[in-house]
Amino acid sequence: MTTRDIVFAAVGVVTALSALLSVTTKHVVHAALWLLVSLGSLAGAYLVLGQELVGLVQLLVYVGAIVVLVLFALMLTRAPIGPHAEIDTPWWQRVAGAVLGGATTALLASLLLPLFSGVSVDLDTPTTTTPQVAQAIFGTWVWPFELLSVLLLVALIGAFAVSRLVLRRDADERAPVPAAAATGDRG
Amino acid sequence: MIHLSLPAALAALLAGIGVYGVLARRNAVLVLIGVELVLNAANLLLVTAGSRPGTQLSAGPVLTLFVITIAAAEITVALAIILVMFRKAGHIDLTAVPDLTDDPADEGVS
Amino acid sequence: MSWIVRMIVVLPALAALVGLLCRRQRLLAAGVAISVSSYVAVLALIQWVAPSRSADIDTIGALPLGDLSVPLHLLSDRVSGLVSFVVALVVLGIQVFTAWYLRDDARYGQFAATVSLFAAGMLLLVQAGDLVPVLVGWEIMGWCSWLLIGHDSERHAARRAAYKAFLVTRVADIGMVVGIVALSVRARSTDLMAVLTATGSSTLLTVGLVGVVVGVAGKSGLVPFHDWLPDAMEGPTPASALIHAATMVAAGTYVVARLFALYAEDDAARTLLAVLAAVTMVYAALLALAQTDLKRMLAYSTLSQIAIMLSALAAAPAELGPGAGISHLLGHAFFKALLFLGAGWLSVLAGGTAIAAVRGRLRPTGALRWSMGIGLAALAGVPPLVGFFSKDTVIDAALEGATGGGGFRAWLVVVALFVTVVLTAAYCARAWLLLDTPVAATSALPDSEPALVAAEEVAVVTTADSADDAEVERVHAHGHAAITLPAALVVSVLAALTVVGTLFLTSLSGGVHVGVLSALLSLLLVAGGAYAVWFLSDRGRVDVADLVPDRLREPAVRGFGVDTAYVGVGRAVTALARVVVALDRDVVDAYPRATAVVARAAGRAGERGHRGVPSLSLLSLLVGVVLVAVLGVTAWR
Repeated sequence: MTTRDIVFAAVGVVTALSALLSVTTKHVVHAALWLLVSLGSLAGAYLVLGQELVGLVQLLVYVGAIVVLVLFALMLTRAPIGPHAEIDTPWWQRVAGAVLGGATTALLASLLLPLFSGVSVDLDTPTTTTPQVAQAIFGTWVWPFELLSVLLLVALIGAFAVSRLVLRRDADERAPVPAAAATGDRG
Repeated sequence: MIHLSLPAALAALLAGIGVYGVLARRNAVLVLIGVELVLNAANLLLVTAGSRPGTQLSAGPVLTLFVITIAAAEITVALAIILVMFRKAGHIDLTAVPDLTDDPADEGVS
Repeated sequence: MSWIVRMIVVLPALAALVGLLCRRQRLLAAGVAISVSSYVAVLALIQWVAPSRSADIDTIGALPLGDLSVPLHLLSDRVSGLVSFVVALVVLGIQVFTAWYLRDDARYGQFAATVSLFAAGMLLLVQAGDLVPVLVGWEIMGWCSWLLIGHDSERHAARRAAYKAFLVTRVADIGMVVGIVALSVRARSTDLMAVLTATGSSTLLTVGLVGVVVGVAGKSGLVPFHDWLPDAMEGPTPASALIHAATMVAAGTYVVARLFALYAEDDAARTLLAVLAAVTMVYAALLALAQTDLKRMLAYSTLSQIAIMLSALAAAPAELGPGAGISHLLGHAFFKALLFLGAGWLSVLAGGTAIAAVRGRLRPTGALRWSMGIGLAALAGVPPLVGFFSKDTVIDAALEGATGGGGFRAWLVVVALFVTVVLTAAYCARAWLLLDTPVAATSALPDSEPALVAAEEVAVVTTADSADDAEVERVHAHGHAAITLPAALVVSVLAALTVVGTLFLTSLSGGVHVGVLSALLSLLLVAGGAYAVWFLSDRGRVDVADLVPDRLREPAVRGFGVDTAYVGVGRAVTALARVVVALDRDVVDAYPRATAVVARAAGRAGERGHRGVPSLSLLSLLVGVVLVAVLGVTAWR
């Protein structure tokens, strides 16, 4: 048990507990906030593992953007404030979910633990530093990286198109009104 | 020094919790939270594997960054769909029996 | 020299293409068709008189077919030169005549182009030194005959006749293809020289030759494939002239003549050919005697004459060669083209080709009367016309075969030939008497059964549906222009060729070979047949065929219901196909289809149970994923 082990165990316990709370809490908004805690502490776990860049990106993208998006979505879909019993599926589905979750954990653990048991690395002299990661991204991985930028663009346009889909149908249903308003604006 | 079985165990745990989250929630946004947890379990596993000595091409951290980007794209589209669903059905309850009758407006939109 | 041979084949095909492209400009289309056919005729004349033989004129290079050699050569010798010259000459005459005959037809351009393509097919077959081009030319002619016979495609009868011709010859072509394949396999090559000199399995040889005989029987109208040819009269008269005179039906004779060296060795195929030819020539001559339509009569006479050509090939001794058959092919080409074009001319004057319409209409026409007289005399075999020489060459060859150990086969042919000579003379005399005796003479005659005859004739004419009625009706509606000088000249030139055509044949080895005794005998028979008709018909006042009892005559006009038999065969084949389809679908396919039915039923059941609830679907999906993962891990371990 080294110091890093202990630190990682502490961060990991926080991560796991807040994740568990985020999937079990009865408050809709709390679920998103517990997710924030879980993802933030996971960033801490990345730091402990010696990947500062990944940890910072995790904070920026996940904690800064994705969780905020999730909160926005909750607000836009009129999520109730306060405890709410209706956010969970029927009990038998939850039991099935628990069994499946346990099975997943057991399966992964039974596979991964033998792979990683006894493997220990000295992170005080890290093998992959941030400059190396940067060189790899813009060297070996440059084409996947460029493809990813295209993917982001496609996702952006796709999200836009999906929301337009319904907007236009709404417009069809009450067609004359927006048209008249538009001409009125122009006039 | 750090033993890599610890992060591996955390990854397995997070994946299981994520699966439970997907199945235990009826609110579509909360189902997405479960999906995010599973994705993060994968990320943690990538970083862990990348920390093993002798890994080539810095694959661990680089792929993690990629997965984070993909997750951002994924959640954008998913939230757009959820908003559309809310606007059309008035709720985002995944246990509700959907109205499968043909929508005449669907033919007009292609 | 070799480029001339290639040009003879390629030019008509090009003319067909160009003619099709400029089919709207009537003058241009006619100019292309006529000028190219005259050029081809000149080229063919050069090929004939130039004393060169070459068996390996390259075309498009050999086909790379492994150990089967397909050189696709053309073959040029005296026979192919003479035949292609005669073919080109007849095609030229027909093109000139068509320009006048179809002058009011909206689809003249297509017709002329099709005639050019037809000529290309025949010339390819004539020049071919390889079995593959033979088959190609053979099929081009089959397709073009469908187009030409169905030229008046608005009329149901024309469409039906076209399909009938195509289907009947196509069924027989199965035999042709099988035969050609068998011969090629035996020789390991499709080259004609290799096929002729190959030594190999005699079974393959017999199969090949019998197959070719079957194919030839289809195209040349031997029993039992004969019935398409009279129906083919539905085409315009120039098309009939083309099909009957020098091309399609004669192509069979040419193919058999090319393979004569092989037939001389194989008794089975030759006996089959002899029996078919003997039966056809007598049967068709008998039917020709009974016809009520001039063109149908000529069609049956074609059947009979083609059978005579083939009988020469079936009975002639090996050392005599195929000269007699080719000789009759050429002679027949001249006088049959003459007769058909004359009949077309006459039909325009008389307003139909039914005997009732053309009766006595020949008397007042000068050149036409002479031409038809010469044509009928040549058909009957009156010296010194070409028909006499070519037919007596055939008889002489058959007699030589019979006395030289030809046995049953040759004697059958000889007997059939003499019977046919009498019958041919009889129906030619009947046709001449009917065409030439003025109608006034017949009406003055106290007719014993006028009502019956009239009713019967009307009925027969409508059932047989006179061939050029559509054309003639159109002509009479608009008033057809009087015959042009070139068209009349064509008929006259053909008549002249019928007189002097024997000179052509002398250049052919074995082309003219008349024995004195057999010639005398056949002359006596011709005279006897003609006199009998003249006597029976009371100097032309009565139609001899009317003396035949109605009970026998009406089915004879209709070809004894062979058409119904064809329809029956077609129905039987269709029924068989239905049975096979049913067996395939309901018995063989039942097992594979059952899995599909079960899978679809299972899908339906699942669909009914599935209410589309997202969380349930997610649950089921994840159960499946985890199960698969567990299975995978267990298997991997």
